Amino acid sequence: MNDFAISIEGLEKYYGSFKALHGVDLKVNQGEILGFLGPNGAGKTTTIRCILDHIRPQKGIIKVFGINPQAKPQVVHQLTGYLPGELRLEDNFRVEQQLQYFRQLRGNQIEWSYVEELAERLNLDLSRTIKNLSSGNKQKVGIVQALMHKSDLLLLDEPTAGLDPLMQQEVYRLLREAQSNGTTVFFSSHIISEVETLAERVAIIRDGVIVEESMPNQLTGMAIRRVKISFLEPIDPEIFQAIEGVTIVSSRNGKEVIIQVEGNLDRLIKTLAAYPVKDLETASHSLEEIFLKYYESDQEESR
Amino acid sequence: MLVELRYTLRHYRGQIIGWGLGLTLYSLLMVSMYSDIAKVDFGALLEYYPQEMLAFFGDSFQAISSPHGYMDLYFFGYMTIIIGIFAVSSGAKLIVKDEEDGLLDLVLSYPKSRSEIFWGRVLGYVVTLILILFISWMSWVLPSGSTSMGLTAGELLRPFWGLLAQLLLFGSFALLLSMIVPASRIASMIVSGLLVANYLTVGLSNINQDLKSIVEYTPLHIYQGGYAILGINWDWLLITSMGALLFLLLAWWRFLNRDLRVAGEGGWKLKEIFSFRK
Repeated sequence: MNDFAISIEGLEKYYGSFKALHGVDLKVNQGEILGFLGPNGAGKTTTIRCILDHIRPQKGIIKVFGINPQAKPQVVHQLTGYLPGELRLEDNFRVEQQLQYFRQLRGNQIEWSYVEELAERLNLDLSRTIKNLSSGNKQKVGIVQALMHKSDLLLLDEPTAGLDPLMQQEVYRLLREAQSNGTTVFFSSHIISEVETLAERVAIIRDGVIVEESMPNQLTGMAIRRVKISFLEPIDPEIFQAIEGVTIVSSRNGKEVIIQVEGNLDRLIKTLAAYPVKDLETASHSLEEIFLKYYESDQEESR
Repeated sequence: MLVELRYTLRHYRGQIIGWGLGLTLYSLLMVSMYSDIAKVDFGALLEYYPQEMLAFFGDSFQAISSPHGYMDLYFFGYMTIIIGIFAVSSGAKLIVKDEEDGLLDLVLSYPKSRSEIFWGRVLGYVVTLILILFISWMSWVLPSGSTSMGLTAGELLRPFWGLLAQLLLFGSFALLLSMIVPASRIASMIVSGLLVANYLTVGLSNINQDLKSIVEYTPLHIYQGGYAILGINWDWLLITSMGALLFLLLAWWRFLNRDLRVAGEGGWKLKEIFSFRK
């Protein structure tokens, strides 16, 4: 029994002389929802396309439920539902014809009533012609085709792109339902709130390397916190200098001190116990700030 | 494979109807005019034509009163260009257009092998060309009995085999090239250019004998056109068909052994042409 839905080791991919992936290592547990976060061009889509064997890496090992997609691509595709980041459909087809075509590609093993149910939940009209659909409605067609065969693994590249907030919530519900039925969801996104809402675990990719892999709450918990402390009487701010991981940001007459704390607050609280504290406010960094921290450092390096 | 065959035929439905209808109307017009043309003494008329022009079209002008000369001059002679441009354009787009649009990225994520996708589409493409030519053939066969052409359906069918072989040769070459060059339209432009250049040089070689050695082994030089009514040159038909098959096999091999392209990843990548997927 393989514990991982996806296992990637040392994945390297070149496009000509450009190195898109610099040794990606990633494990996705079975039945989890993993958010794959990264700025444009970081390697999200390239990684997904390597998993599907649409492109071949120069180095590295990929396993999907223990199966090598390069050796048995069709077996992997049988287990996978895929939504590409730049979805294109046959313009002259009606939605129903397009979905029937996808159904036929899976050997007609899909219950059409389930397709209709998905379309109804996403408010998608099956009788309309693809070319007359808005980008959001085309995205719904993509979501339906990815979900309709109740696969073991969902690979979704920017799943809610172009959808209105109500439909985004419906897609989140559908993905959670799929997960509750045992499906592993691997989705890429650069919408941090989406990852924060949906993902159980987050992997951040930057410049073709996984730079962070954690639970969203752990990731935000590990971050630097800003703490504002108001005292009943003025204190000497130097007391904070002795605490490891604490940096003084500002001090107003020793009665209002703002500090930055890296890691947990245990030592700070114990130190504060000796002083007359009037109020204490903490603000943890959001996933967005953490993501931006990686992104900004990336940009600084490239300058 | 049948799913892709049906998909391709549905995709080309409009083309089959459009080309079929257009060729039917043209063929009906040509058939209806034959009886009148056959009565005209073209010998005296041709004396006034520039010799270079007569030479360009080969023997067809001299044989215009005969069914084979008439059909060669007014139909088969330049249908390699007219339908050929469609065959080349469709061949170049057959797989790569969907790849450029991003649809193939999705289609290949389904549990169908690349071979099934490739050969299903090729089959759909061949059937499309056959249907267009079949409609055209029917529009010659049905009214020809009421004219003085005196040709059987079988005799009328002969030149269509040669035309189909030429269309498949240039179409499959366009398909192969689309797997190598960065965009389907580049493949289409190159092969269309070669097709037109071949047509012109074959005609010009009748005027300038120095060109004979250049065109001797080109596809349109061995194309019989309407003269196939008198008897098919099986060697030439076989060579053309084998050429088409060779191009298809090479295109298939390229499709199996290359990365799928998406927007922004184009490029000539000439050193990757002969690469294998490990």
